[in-house]
Amino acid sequence: MALLIFATLPLLLIVGYALFAIWLERKVSAHIQDRLGPMRVGGWHGWAQTIADMLKLIQKEDIIPTNASRFLFKSAPFVLFAASYAAFSVIPFSSAYIGSSINIGVFYLLAVTSLLTLSVIMGAWASNNKWSLLGGMRTAAQMVSYEVPTIMSVLSVLVVAGSLNLMTISEMQTGNDILGFLPNWLIFQNPFLIVAFIIFFISIVAESHRVPFDLPESESELVAGFQTEYSGMRWGIFMLAEYADMLLLSLLGAVLFFGGWASPFGSYLSGPVWGFIWFMLKGLLFVFVMMWMRWTLPRYRVDQLMEICWTILIPVSFINFVLIALWEMTF
Amino acid sequence: MDLTAIVFYLFSIVTVGAAAIMVFSKNIVHSAFALMFSLAGIAVLYVLLYADFIAATQLLVYVGGILILILFGLMLTEQAVTQKFKAVTVNMLPASLLAAVTTVLLVYAYATTSWQMVMPEERSETVYDLGILLMSDYILPFIIAGVLLLIAIVGAILMSTRLTAIKNEEQ
Amino acid sequence: MVQTLKKSWTTFKTIFTGMGVTMRHLLQPSVTLRYPEERDELPSGARSKLFVHIDDCIGCKLCERACPVNCIAIETVQATKDVDLGKTSTGNPKRFWITTFNIDMSKCMYCDMCVPPCPTECISMVPEYEYSEYDRNNLLFQFSELSADKVTEVKEKAEKEQEEKQRKKKEAARKKKAQKADQTSKAKQKNSEG
Repeated sequence: MALLIFATLPLLLIVGYALFAIWLERKVSAHIQDRLGPMRVGGWHGWAQTIADMLKLIQKEDIIPTNASRFLFKSAPFVLFAASYAAFSVIPFSSAYIGSSINIGVFYLLAVTSLLTLSVIMGAWASNNKWSLLGGMRTAAQMVSYEVPTIMSVLSVLVVAGSLNLMTISEMQTGNDILGFLPNWLIFQNPFLIVAFIIFFISIVAESHRVPFDLPESESELVAGFQTEYSGMRWGIFMLAEYADMLLLSLLGAVLFFGGWASPFGSYLSGPVWGFIWFMLKGLLFVFVMMWMRWTLPRYRVDQLMEICWTILIPVSFINFVLIALWEMTF
Repeated sequence: MDLTAIVFYLFSIVTVGAAAIMVFSKNIVHSAFALMFSLAGIAVLYVLLYADFIAATQLLVYVGGILILILFGLMLTEQAVTQKFKAVTVNMLPASLLAAVTTVLLVYAYATTSWQMVMPEERSETVYDLGILLMSDYILPFIIAGVLLLIAIVGAILMSTRLTAIKNEEQ
Repeated sequence: MVQTLKKSWTTFKTIFTGMGVTMRHLLQPSVTLRYPEERDELPSGARSKLFVHIDDCIGCKLCERACPVNCIAIETVQATKDVDLGKTSTGNPKRFWITTFNIDMSKCMYCDMCVPPCPTECISMVPEYEYSEYDRNNLLFQFSELSADKVTEVKEKAEKEQEEKQRKKKEAARKKKAQKADQTSKAKQKNSEG
């Protein structure tokens, strides 16, 4: 029972976060376009809008196209969310909470998130819709390509950290000794890790298919890509998984480069609760930057997307990996 | 029955059942997705043997890599799109003969081998041990595998560039 | 290599420029008016709804003629001599009872062409735009203030006066004719005498 409660905690966090993030996305988009966004539901700046939306989604009819492959169509959102949720088990939310402190943490996370691609293709093909299928194909191509720079940049962090366990990586980043005031975050420990972080960030934007890499679900050409035929709560779960994926990769970035739950002020404002707050703040900062980018940048073309990945990101990440290893050997 | 046994039987059924669906399904894309469940089930069985690194590799390489490539290839065929693709059984007689012989061999091997029963022990430093082993005892196979993959990649690049070069010349 | 670096540099530069712009917009106050609670002030020349000061109308029907879609319908009855309808606020004497002054706002296309011809400036656009109705008959605005009884009364009166006038005219015409006939007969007599 205690195990069950322990395992459900991140779920509550994800649902709460998704409700907040969708509201935030709408507010950010609105204010960037000089609008106000949802203002009515709940009083203060329409904070209850997404809760109302979710209640509406639950009540909606679940439409399954006649020619869809029923089993695959029905199970795709759940496989997607399961894969996304399973990955949260190795994220150290604070110094007191981690789902499973296994020693292959990062590797497990990368392995489980590769299931995301498959479930997207599953839903896309099962819909029996041309747009969905095109979206699914693009997802496959994009995710397989961008997994390479992601893994390379993660590897370069692991060379510096010397561990695959995210808890250990977080623990070694506490305190602030660099130049007397900077926190011991990995990004400050090795200058080439800054390059690694840029590559990592571009790749996670592509992996969570956000603008400017939102080709799998580009509204203007593919209606909604793999989500076209989904409705009601199944679509809601797709949405939830998408936002959960964003948070997951942002939190991974926070652990690998920005100290996880480590406080930026050394031992000041540290401890399990503060650690959790710092960690979520760091993660949400990346989520906010992704939203900010979404409402700024246009979408890439498919060939440009592939060109960026294969001709720039991958070579740079390999060279950077070697440089980081050399730096670690000499200093 | 403890939790481990329940998980073992559950995922064994999933693995074998999904494999059966994969073989008997008439729709080739359904087969591919059944393969996914089968491979994921095997990953769970690895976890039960405390081989967490192998399990994650299984997911990353087979489910996340090879299966996606298989699906990608399938999607490029017209039949997969229209969902009307029907797998046809050809060469009934030789195939069943071969299958029967293989079954007999497997059963024979299973029955005659004296199995050594070992309780799986929990290891915490699998990655560390694996890395040491790969870099010491198994360095030769490791490097050979690496060189093989490199050759494969170079070959793939060469083939694709030559194909595009021919196309460009034609234009 | 150099080309790629240059391209990457341009990419990053443009991305950060764009993100700077959006950040600026994110921080500056939004332009949205939350409509039912807040309303924008309409500009002075806004065309939204027609209104007629019926007291000022002299029944010249210039607006009716100017309307390109015939959404204005005016009926007038000439005032009898015994009543004085007074003057408009601009000083023009009123000579007609306005028995009907209907504007069908569902037909109106807000061209504003009826407003300038009015000599007394009694028809004008008012800044009111929330007058949607469930029944389109409610969009037929009736500006005439005369009651039905009054209308029949003034009509009868006007008819009587008209008849009277006609009668008088006829009488006058007959008299004239008689005179003429008289003269001609006299002249004939003269001729015959002469």
